[in-house]
Amino acid sequence: MKYILAKSVEEALIGLYQAGGTGAIMGGGTDLTIDLESGKHKADTLVDVTGVPELKEIRLEGDTLVIGAAATLTEITHNPLVKKHCPSLTLGTGCVGSLQIRNSATLAGNVMSAQPAADGAMALAPYDPEFVICSLGGERRCKMGEMYAGFARSAIDPSKEMVKEIRIPILKENEAGSYIRLELRKSLSLPMLNVAAVARVVDGKVEWARITMGPVGVGPVHAVDAEAYLVGKELTAEVMTEAGKLAMNNAKPRSNPLRGSKEYREATLPILVRRALESIADQLGIKY
Amino acid sequence: MLLCTTINGEYMEVEVNPDLRLVDFLRDQLGLTGTKIGCRRGECGACTVIFNGKAVTSCLIPVMRAHGAVIETIEGLMGENEKLHPLQEEFINRGAIQCGFCTPGMIMSAKALLDENPDPSVDEVREALGGNICRCTGYKKIQEAVLGAAERIRKGE
Repeated sequence: MKYILAKSVEEALIGLYQAGGTGAIMGGGTDLTIDLESGKHKADTLVDVTGVPELKEIRLEGDTLVIGAAATLTEITHNPLVKKHCPSLTLGTGCVGSLQIRNSATLAGNVMSAQPAADGAMALAPYDPEFVICSLGGERRCKMGEMYAGFARSAIDPSKEMVKEIRIPILKENEAGSYIRLELRKSLSLPMLNVAAVARVVDGKVEWARITMGPVGVGPVHAVDAEAYLVGKELTAEVMTEAGKLAMNNAKPRSNPLRGSKEYREATLPILVRRALESIADQLGIKY
Repeated sequence: MLLCTTINGEYMEVEVNPDLRLVDFLRDQLGLTGTKIGCRRGECGACTVIFNGKAVTSCLIPVMRAHGAVIETIEGLMGENEKLHPLQEEFINRGAIQCGFCTPGMIMSAKALLDENPDPSVDEVREALGGNICRCTGYKKIQEAVLGAAERIRKGE
């Protein structure tokens, strides 16, 4: 195997191009390393981008928080800009795997691995981020939903292109975000269920709300019925409970031998959605 | 490929097979077998080493990523005249070891924590050790050993 320690995005893309479809971008590598050994993923050339300075950056561009694809989950979790402008994101990035995993793994990789309940990706989803994808042909931008091709299957082909950065609209006045996971244990365990939300509430009325849930489908799944129902409503206890029930219209949880039966997940998901909304109400000083 | 790296304070230039993971290089090529292999999936923490100041599971690190890096393994902890590190002593004194297989990983996770934060809270210790699994002792004595070592390190021992 050929191993390229790229020093720039251009060098990484050239390495990938020269591998002619048999290469792969290596970010944190905490999933890819395992997949290479098991044969689930094959590559003759690995292009390691963890040493590319511009991919390590976390910066603010106007109202957009930009997180480089090689920033580790630990760096994101403890970054003051992220904590200030997208605090609920750190609740997700701060509980992926274990500290050792977070010290290597990246948020871009958490999305690329496409697990439906990945903590980092889930906490990110309701912020409605954009992903800058680049190849030698140029750059394009993808929304969160366009990053997923199926269960544990990314729409981005790591042998042809790479994520350069994630662009996240920051929270403004009257907006708040939340992240909740139902867990067997805190470390080294995917959640039984997780829910994230971001909402804007002006003069007591919801202007918009985005709620995502997992693992109930491919990638973070939007609770679109609950989102539509909330528009124009006050965040009362009844409204938040009803939104939790409506969230089930878009959720198809399955039984998992380790992380809960379909029935258990169906019974608990509405409560998690309600709690995610309650957390937003609390942060915005709304009594319910 | 030529790997230039610093391990336990020693700079080295060595030819390596880039297919290797860091843990295999440490154990098989350098003979540093204190770093253990439990799961090879990043789920047990037995292979934890300190990589540029951060605890990582060396089973998930491609060996070439160590190029230019500074790495510490359990073998690097002993001081002059074979004096044990306070973490090692406290693990022994407080019965935080039974079979010992998880111990090097536990100690390296704990050392990475104490290097950054010599006065950690119980929750911070638990977070730092959350990725290290012990099947013998339970975790209370391990937690106590880390807090005890932290106290000694703060006193300058």
